[in-house]
Order: sequence, then C-alpha cells, then structure tokens
Amino acid sequence: MSAERPGVRGGLLVLASALASLALVLAYLAAGGGSYSPATVKDPCEPREWRDPGSLEEIAEQFSLSALDGAACELGVTRETLARALATPQSRRRFTERYGIDDEELGQAVRAGLLRAVDDAERAGALPAFLGEPLRETVREIPPEQAIELIQNARSLLDDLQSFVDPARDFLEQFFR
Amino acid sequence: MTAAPRPRLAALAGAVGLVLADSSIVVLALPDIYRELDTSVAGVTWVLVSFNLVMALAAVPAAHLARRIGPGRAAAIGLAVFAGAGIACGLATELSTLIAARCVQALGGAVAVTAALELLPATVGSERRAVTIWAAAGATGAALGPAVGGLMTELVSWQSIFLIQAPAAIAAGVPVLAVARHEAATGIVAAELRSTGRPHLLANLALAMTSAAIAAALFLLVLLLIEGWRLTPIGAAIVVSAMPLAALLGARIGPGAGSARARAAAGAILVSGGLGGLALLPRAEVALTLPPQLLVGIGLALVLSALTETALEGRAPQAIHGGWTISARHAGVAVGLIVLTPVFTADIAEQRREAIDAGTAVVLDSRVDPLLKLELAQRIDERLEGERGRVPTIGPAFEPLPEDPEDRAEVLVLREELQDQLDRAATHSFSPSFGLGALLGLLALIPIGLARRVDL
Repeated sequence: MSAERPGVRGGLLVLASALASLALVLAYLAAGGGSYSPATVKDPCEPREWRDPGSLEEIAEQFSLSALDGAACELGVTRETLARALATPQSRRRFTERYGIDDEELGQAVRAGLLRAVDDAERAGALPAFLGEPLRETVREIPPEQAIELIQNARSLLDDLQSFVDPARDFLEQFFR
Repeated sequence: MTAAPRPRLAALAGAVGLVLADSSIVVLALPDIYRELDTSVAGVTWVLVSFNLVMALAAVPAAHLARRIGPGRAAAIGLAVFAGAGIACGLATELSTLIAARCVQALGGAVAVTAALELLPATVGSERRAVTIWAAAGATGAALGPAVGGLMTELVSWQSIFLIQAPAAIAAGVPVLAVARHEAATGIVAAELRSTGRPHLLANLALAMTSAAIAAALFLLVLLLIEGWRLTPIGAAIVVSAMPLAALLGARIGPGAGSARARAAAGAILVSGGLGGLALLPRAEVALTLPPQLLVGIGLALVLSALTETALEGRAPQAIHGGWTISARHAGVAVGLIVLTPVFTADIAEQRREAIDAGTAVVLDSRVDPLLKLELAQRIDERLEGERGRVPTIGPAFEPLPEDPEDRAEVLVLREELQDQLDRAATHSFSPSFGLGALLGLLALIPIGLARRVDL
C-alpha cells in the first residue's frame, strides 16, 4: 500500500463531505428555504387599496379598516396590533401600558384615523364628495373617549360606524342603486 | 482482589455513558421543566448550561484528584455524588434548586468519568483500547441521551429522568468498590503518580468549537420541534433519534477512511452543512429535518472521535488528557448555549410578533363576515395572552366553527393561513442560531488545519 493512499482517501472524504453539505444547502435554498418567513404587514401610513365595495356594509368595513390604518399610523404601530388592542377593554389596557400612552392620546389617534378613513373613502369613490366635509365635521366633534368606545366594543363597531354614517345613509344607498 | 474485568468493564463503560448522556438527556424535558417550574426559555437553558459548565471546569481537576486518591475510590465517590445529586434534581420544585443539584451532579460525573479512563487500561489491557472504549461509551451516551430523556418525559415525567439515574449509578459503582478496596489495601496510588504533559491545544479547541455546533443542532432542533412545531416529547425523541442513528453510521467510517485530520475536517464540514440545512428549512415539515440530521450525525461521529484520538495520542497520563477533552467538549456546549440562547430567544419574540401581525392581517383582509372577523381577532388575542410569549397553537381560537357552511369554509381557510404564518415564524426564528452554529463548525476547520503544522 503506498504512503499516499490514506492521504488520497482523506482528501476524497473531505471532498465528499463538502459536496454533500453544499448539495443540501443548495437544495433547500432552491426549495425556498431562504424566504420561508412570515409575511410582512403593510405600513399603515401608506394608502391601502379599497376592494370594490358591493354594499354599504362593505363600505363600513373598509371604512373601519382605513380608520385603524390612520390611527395606527398616528401611534407608530401596525394596523394589526391596534386591531387586537381594541378588541377588548383588557387588551386596550395592555396596549396603553405597553406603549406608554393615555386614553386621551389613543382617542385622538382614533379620531385622526376616522378622518383618514373619510379621505380614503373619497379617494376610492365610495363616498360622494359632498358628504366628505360633513362627515369630517362630525368626526372632529366626537370626544376622544367616544371615538375609542366607537371601536373598543368590537361587536358593535360596524353598527356604530354605520350609525355614524346614518345621516348620509339615504344618499349612499341612492348612490349605489 | 479486584472485581472481574468483564463486569468492571461494563460498569465503567456504563458509568461513562450515563454521565455523558446527562449533558444532553434533559434537552427534550426542557419544555416541560420550563412550564412546570414557571420560568423562561433563557432560565431553563441553565439546567443544561450549568451541568456542562461545571463539567468543563471540573474535568481536569477531577482527573488529578482521581490519580491522587486512587481512581477506584474516586470513581466510587463520583458515582455516589452523581446518584445523590440526581435524586435532588428529581425532587427539585424550583429552578434554582434544580440548577444547584445539576452542578453537584456534574462534579460527581466529572470525577467518575475521568477516573474511569484511569481504570480502563488495567481492565482491558491496553491504553489505546481503553481510549476507544471510553470515547465510544461517551459518544453512545451523549447520542442516546435525548431520545431516552424524551421517552421518560412523555411516559413518566421529567423528574424520572434524574431519579432513574440513581440506581443506574449505584449499579455501575458496585464493581468499582472492589478496586477502591484494593487501592486502600495496597497503597498503589502514590506509586503511579507521573508528571503530566501539556494538552493538545488545537485539537481541544477544535473539539470545543464543534461541540458548540453539535449542541446547537441538538438543542435548537428539539426546541423547534416541541415549542415551534408543537410535537410531543416522544414525537420529538423519535425525530431526533435520526442523529444518533446517523452517528452509528459515521462511527463505521474508521481510520481506514483517512488521517485523523481528514476525518476531523470532513466531520466539521458535515456538521456545518447539516446546520446550514436546518437554517434554511423550506417548510415546517419534520421530514425535512432528516437530511440535515443525517449530515450532523455522521459528522459528529467523525469529528469527535478523530479529535479525541488526536488529543490523546502519545500523551500521558490518559486520565488528565481525557479530562482536557471532556473539559473542551463541555466548555464548547456551555459557551455555545450561552451565546445562542439570547440570539434565538430574541428572534422567537420578534418572529412571534411578526407572525401575529401577519396572521391578524390575514383575518382583517379576509372575506368572512365582519362581525365574525372581529370576534376572531378577540379570541386570537386571548389565545396569545394565554401562551405567555410562546409560539401558540392557533386552532382553538377558531372553535367553535361557524355553522353556516360558507362561513365555516372561509374560517377553515383563515385558520390554515394563520397557522402557516405561525409555522413560518417559528421556523424562521431558529434560522440565525442554526446559521451561527454552522459558522462555528466551519471555524473549527482553522484549528483542525493548523494542527498538522503546529502540533502543540
């Protein structure tokens, strides 16, 4: 047996190990291993496309989502974090404690969000232009605490939002029919 | 008169396997300990770190002690301490007590393992064969540890892992007592004291680095399976058994396959490749962990045996240099865990936040009934709070499913999408730590490469 043989075998062993390792890494990369991570949520400060609204209920839903976007943008959190925070009084309390804000600040942010929702609704063509200003006026008049309550009670959120746009209901329905 | 060689050999090999299994046996029990003792992931990691750290610090002094008081007596005392501390671990109701008992257990274990290496040559008739048996017993114990621990945790409790060690340690200690009595009667110990040479620095450094990488593979994979993918301890035990099975395959690649340096380099590359694969898992599927485990298993068998062989070759006394290899391996494991724990705990927290946001976005943008949507958001939030920062199983938040078939179908799709986001987050949060482990394995190639040129 020549003296080189163990060296050659050793070299082959190292080479085979390197190839096997490389093959595994490349195969997993090719299968999407480099990008298997949770989806990134959208920046709430960026405008979001409205789905083509088929009913007043859908408008109200997208209106509430836009309001969440606007409020989240004001607070520097994601829309999703705020949505969960406003789900129950307990989650709201945890949220305000975690981010060091008081109810007044939260209420103002929610009001700013509602104003943003009016803008978005107008931009999406879901709200006739002549209704925009009266709605903005109404939102500006809502006390911060009431603005929070408006979406704190999750079950009545849509009803509240709908009652909020009630003055314009007739016009809206006429608009869609 | 000493014990017959065969029972003594079995006892010594058993003692080494038992002690070295202990450095990894609790890995699969950590999630249960974490919940039962109401601690954090970082806190529970110390159940593992403390044992390895004390083993690393105590191995060499323990080897000196074994030579001074006699290896038979040292092994008997070490096993008795190990057994007693094991009972204390099993009865611990607080994390601090458990960690303290683990430290004592490691002290006893260090004395027993190094003393065993001193006793083995006389038992088997040659130092070389003694080293082979000692290393094989240790590797077998370390490889079987997680699977045995997982089974015990699932079938009995995490406490049983420690309690069962006491009778096992006592059983291993009985044949050794005869040696201890012989030493006491003959006073043979003092006559055998010899001066010790310097340890093989590069081989031990490479051992430490690869051990850190291997610990990362095992520890992180177990956490990913149980905490991230929600497998039961027994399920995770079955999955991670692939690694020791592959190690058995790797152990068949003997010196005939190349020099110790080549085998060490090949092993380090395979361990890194396997960890690289775990860092790049393309989906949350158990089957996808098998090819990386195959590489890590074969790699660890190659690299640990080759480096231990290198560290001990031509060096005497074996117990002291064996102590250095034990010290290097456990130091690597401890340092690896200390470095990686903050990385992956921070990543888990971050990824969890991202997953929850992504999942909530799925719910908010879905076409399900808006009121149902809001109710779901509320239930998901409650579910998350109940999970205390762990990656949650989101299914129960969707119960009861709506009765309306259309809503039901929509909600089922939502549940699947949300769970997918959580699976992605759990898997992705371990990627940087697995990647760091892979890097450590590759860095071990530096001392392995240098060892040929500068044989310290």
